[in-house]
Amino acid sequence: MSLFSAISVSATGLSAQRTRAEILAQNLANADTTRTPEGGPYRRRDVVFETADASSSFRGHLDEAGGGLTGVRVSEIRVDDTEAPKRYLPGHPDADKDGYVAMPRINPAEDMVDLMGASRGYQANIAAISAVKDMITRSIELFR
Amino acid sequence: MLNPVANRVEHYLDVLSAKQKLTASNIANADTPGYQTKDVDFASALQSASGSPVAATEVDGLVAKPDGNNVNLDREARNLAETSLRFQIATQYLQNQIRATRTAMSEVRG
Repeated sequence: MSLFSAISVSATGLSAQRTRAEILAQNLANADTTRTPEGGPYRRRDVVFETADASSSFRGHLDEAGGGLTGVRVSEIRVDDTEAPKRYLPGHPDADKDGYVAMPRINPAEDMVDLMGASRGYQANIAAISAVKDMITRSIELFR
Repeated sequence: MLNPVANRVEHYLDVLSAKQKLTASNIANADTPGYQTKDVDFASALQSASGSPVAATEVDGLVAKPDGNNVNLDREARNLAETSLRFQIATQYLQNQIRATRTAMSEVRG
């Protein structure tokens, strides 16, 4: 059992949470975007996590199975395909003949809360890395 | 090499690092839908022969969120700190043993 693989597991957590925060920031930034290259308003994106093997190639085959080495990765970034909500803005350049504009389906409050969750998750993974780092340092001190 | 107790302590360190690895996994998967918390059954892991792989077990009695994930971050934070402290105690013990052995060796050399 190598403690170093625990750091790889936490590292997968860090990168997954970072991706989640990036996508949430993208949603927030585009909360009022009505024009996209694909046409129509911006479509919100949501990350979906799944468990993933985190063993480094170096240590991979040496580690006994046990199923303990479960990291995490982003399995997909889902693009919202529901009908865009319409807002009545008659003066808007993108308004249809009745004065309605198709807007992105984004609730900033919801995304802000989710962003806090991502940031807490990132912190928890950093705490795990420093705890493991401390254990490794202790083991190294045995050689002194 | 040192004494039978030190060998047991060595095994104890193995079990502790396995546990810490599972805790790291649990924290990394705190937002993964359907993920089940994993842990080490300390009693049976310590009974098993040293060097044998440590089995991961699923934990009962945790409340699952609507997405089927039952990781409790408070529980994991507690385990993270506890395992780290236990590891510290065990390595401190081993360090003292090694120091004593070294002192004895240097006495023989005169």
